[in-house]
Amino acid sequence: MDVSMESAVTGAAGQLAGRPLEEWNAAYVKVENYFHALRVRNKALLGQLVLRVLERAMRRAPAEPDRSATKLAAEEMDRLVVEWFAAVLQEAPANADQMLTTRGRLALLLADMPGRWQEQFLRPGPWPQEFVNAMRETYFRAGPDFQLSKMAPRPLDLGPITTLTNLGRLPYVRMAMVWIGFALLLIGVFWLTHGGFEQMNSRVSSLIDWFTQFYR
Amino acid sequence: MADAPTISAAAAPRLRRGWRLFIFYSSAVLLTGLVSMLFADLLWRTGWSTSRTVLLVLFVILFLFAAIGCMHGIYGFVLRTLGTRRRITRLADYRAQSIAGTGTAIVFPICNENTVRVCEGLRATYESLERTGELELFDFFILSDSTDPDKWVEEERRWCDLVRELDALGRIYYRRRLYNEAGKSGNVRDFLNAWGRRYRYFMVCDADSVMRGQTIVDLVKLMEVHPGVGLIQTVPALVNAESLFGRMQQFANRLYAPLFIAGLNYWALDLGNYWGHNALIRTEPFMQFCDLPQLPGRRPFGGQILSHDFVEAALLSRENWGIWFAYDLEGSYEEGPQAIIENARRERRWCQGNLQHGLVLFARGLRGVSRLHLMLGICGYLAGPLWLLFLITFNWIHWYQKNSGLSDITLPAFNPYLANWSGTAHALLVFVICMVVIMLPKALALIDLAFDWQRRRAFGGLARTTLGVVGETIFSTLHAPLLMLWHTQFVITNLLGVSVGWGPQKRAADGTAWSSAVRRHWWHTLVGLVWGVLMWQLDQTLFWWFTPVLAGMALSIPLSVFTSRRSLGARTRKMDLFLTPEETAPPLELVALRARLKVHEITEDTTPRHPHAGLAEAVLDPYVNAIHVSLLREKQLNPVYAEQLARLGVGSGEVRTLGEKLLATGPDKLTAAERSLIMADAHALVWLHQQAWLRPDESLAPWWKAMIREFSWRET
Repeated sequence: MDVSMESAVTGAAGQLAGRPLEEWNAAYVKVENYFHALRVRNKALLGQLVLRVLERAMRRAPAEPDRSATKLAAEEMDRLVVEWFAAVLQEAPANADQMLTTRGRLALLLADMPGRWQEQFLRPGPWPQEFVNAMRETYFRAGPDFQLSKMAPRPLDLGPITTLTNLGRLPYVRMAMVWIGFALLLIGVFWLTHGGFEQMNSRVSSLIDWFTQFYR
Repeated sequence: MADAPTISAAAAPRLRRGWRLFIFYSSAVLLTGLVSMLFADLLWRTGWSTSRTVLLVLFVILFLFAAIGCMHGIYGFVLRTLGTRRRITRLADYRAQSIAGTGTAIVFPICNENTVRVCEGLRATYESLERTGELELFDFFILSDSTDPDKWVEEERRWCDLVRELDALGRIYYRRRLYNEAGKSGNVRDFLNAWGRRYRYFMVCDADSVMRGQTIVDLVKLMEVHPGVGLIQTVPALVNAESLFGRMQQFANRLYAPLFIAGLNYWALDLGNYWGHNALIRTEPFMQFCDLPQLPGRRPFGGQILSHDFVEAALLSRENWGIWFAYDLEGSYEEGPQAIIENARRERRWCQGNLQHGLVLFARGLRGVSRLHLMLGICGYLAGPLWLLFLITFNWIHWYQKNSGLSDITLPAFNPYLANWSGTAHALLVFVICMVVIMLPKALALIDLAFDWQRRRAFGGLARTTLGVVGETIFSTLHAPLLMLWHTQFVITNLLGVSVGWGPQKRAADGTAWSSAVRRHWWHTLVGLVWGVLMWQLDQTLFWWFTPVLAGMALSIPLSVFTSRRSLGARTRKMDLFLTPEETAPPLELVALRARLKVHEITEDTTPRHPHAGLAEAVLDPYVNAIHVSLLREKQLNPVYAEQLARLGVGSGEVRTLGEKLLATGPDKLTAAERSLIMADAHALVWLHQQAWLRPDESLAPWWKAMIREFSWRET
C-alpha cells in the first residue's frame, strides 16, 4: 500500500477505512475464494491480487458508508476483472454484456492461465504476445457448423400385423368375441357332461392323494 | 432446412445366398428331424398321450434352436479351417485404397454413463487414430442424453479437459439434447439432422467402446472399395473384465464367437446385421431409409422401436444396401456386465426390444434374411419359457405315470436298431445327443485353437484353455436355469404390459452385495428347493438327472455373489484360467485406457458428491460456468434447439425469479423442473455466477456458503 492510501485507510482503533477489521477480513476471504476458484494457486500472487482489490475497495469505503466492506470488495473485484478482460480481449467494457466475463474466463482456461500464465492475470499490459494470442485466438466450439436436414420416417407396412393391431377397431369384433366365448362355453359344457368331469375328478383326487402321502 | 439426401443403391449381385441358406438351415432341420423321431419313438414306447404330444412339440422347437446354434459352430469351424473368400475383407483388395476426401464422424451416444470411462475410451480411440496419420479425416462427438444435471455438468467439464489435453478443439465435440425423444436412435437421428450431411460415414460407439485407429481406417477403406455397402459391423471383443463372471463371459466370447460369426456370415453374407455399436455406417442411405416409424398399438409392443439396430439393418437391406460382418478385423472392443444381476438387467431391456420385433417381422418388403435375423433374436428369448414348459410337462408326465397306476413297462422301439434297448438306455441316447449338440461348438472351438499356435498362446495354452472351457461350461450349466426363469418372467411381464421395476443394484466393494443377491434371487432359490423336494419324493433317480438345473436355482444367491467377486476374477487370472488374447498381450489402446482409469481411481476424490453438486459447479466454478454458458449459447444457433429452449421457458422473466429464489433459499426449495430450467438458461447462469460471488454471505442461503468454500478450495 502506498503512503497516500495508508493515510486514507487508517482510522479509529480496530477499524480500517471506516469499517471494522473483521469486515475487511471477511472481504479478504471472499475475494481470495474467488481468485482461488480461478485456480490462482501461487500464494504470493494470490495475496497481492487480493490486496489490490481491497485497496480499491478501501478507497471507495469512506464515500459509501452504507455498503459493507465485502460488498465493496466484491464489486471492485468484478470491475477489475471485467476491465482486464476488456483490455486483453480488446473489447470495450462499456459495450460488453455479461458475456464478456464468460468469454474471458473461457479464454483463461483455454490459454491455460492457471498452468502457464498466473503472473499475467490482472496485470496491466503490455502482456507477452504469446499470452495475448492465446487469449484472443481461442475459440470454443461444441460442434462444427450445422448442416441441417430433416430425416423423415418412411411408412412401414407391417403386413398382417397391421390387421392384428387394428383388430380391436374393426366393427362388430366385440360381438364376434362374445360369440366365440359362447361357443367355447358350449364345448366346455359338452366335455364336462361326456366324461370330462370324471376324468378331471380322478386326476385331481390322485394329485391330492399324492400330496397327502407326501406330507405324511 | 433440407430434406434428408436421396440416393439409392444399385442392386448388388447376389452371392448364391439361396443355396447357402438352404444347405445351412436344412442341416439344422435334418438333425432336428432325426433326433425328434428318436424322441417320438421313446415317447411312443411309454404310451402316447396328449401331454406327450405337447412334450414332443416343445422338444422339436427347442432342439431346432440348439441345432441352429450347433450348425453355426460346425459351419464356422469348417470355414475357418478351409478358408473362405466370401467375406468383406477378401472380396477386393482394400489396403491400398485412399480415403482422402472422406469425412467420418465417430459418435458416442451416452445417457447418464460413467463419464470418466466414456472420455477415456474416446481418448484411447482418438490417440490410436492419431497414430495412423489419418486423424484429420475424423471428428468425434459425445452425444449426451443425460438427464441427471450432475452428469450433464461433469460431462461438459471432462469433455473440455479432454479437448485441452489432446489439443483437440474442433476435433472432439459435445452436444446434449434437451429432450430425449426416441432414446438412442433419436439421439443419433438428432446428430444426423444437425451434422449428418457433413460426413460420408459415421461410426456408432457405445459408452464402453474402444476402437483401434487402424481398424476404423480399414473400415472406411472397405466402404470406399464397396460403394454398395451401407453398413459394416465389427465383432467387438469383450475386454477389461475383472470379476469371475465377467472373465468367464469374456473368455467364452473370445473363444467361441469367431466360429459362430463365421457360421453366421456363411448364410448372411451381404445381408448381415447391425448390433447398435462398433459399426461403420454410410450416412446418406441411413438418413434416407432408417428413420424409424412409431409402431401402432400400445406399449410394450407399440410406440418407439426399442431395439432399433436390427430394424435399421433390415431397412437398409430392403433398399439393397449391403451389410457385412467384418468378423476378421481385430481391434474392436467393448465391455460386458460384471455380474449375473447386471447381465439380467441388460437381458430384460433386450428382451422387450426383441419381442417388439414380432410386429416388424411380417413388414412388407423386408428381405427374408432380415426376417431370419429378427426371428432368431425373438427365439433367443422365447427359448427360456419354452424350456421351462418342457421341464414342467416332462415332470407332469412322470408324475402322472407314477400315480395313475398304469404300467411303466415300455414297448419295443420302432427303430430296429434300438429294438433291444431298454427305455432308460433309449432316453440316455437322446440325452447324450442333445448334450453333444449343445457342447459340440465348444469342442470345435478348442480344436480350432489347437491348430493355431498363435491363438493358442494368446489363450494361455491348450491345457489351460481346456480347463477354462470346462469351468465355463459348469458355470453356464448353473447359469442357464436362472436365465430360463428370468426370460420367462421378462416375456410374461412384457406380454402383459407390466413394468417390473429394477432399481439400482446395491454393490459391495468387491461385487454384488448379499442383500442385493437375496432380493433378486430369493424366488429362484425357492423354486429350486421346492422343485427339488418334490422331485426327490417323486423319483430319486430322476432327481439326480435334474440336479444341474435344480442346483443352479437353489444355489443362485451364492453363485451370483461369488461370481461377481473381483478377487475371484484376479485369482483365476493368476492361475492363468479364462485368459483372453487381450489379457496375455494387451493392445496399446487398452493398456492406455487401463492406465488412465487407474490414475483417475487413485487421484480423484471418491467421497460422495453433495446433492445438486452439478448445479453448484455450473454456478460457482468460474470455468465450468463459462463452459456451460458457452455451450448453451451455441445451442441457440440451431433453430431446432432454439425452439426447444423457448419451449422450456428459457429467457422468460420467470427464470430470474427462480434464480433469486435459488440464491435465497438453496436448490432444495426448487423443483427438479425449475432447477433444469435454470441450468438451461445461459443468461440466468451468468447472472447467478456473478451474484453468488458478489453478494455478502449473509444474503445467501447457507447451502451456498458451504458450496463456495468447497468450490474455491478444491484442488482440481
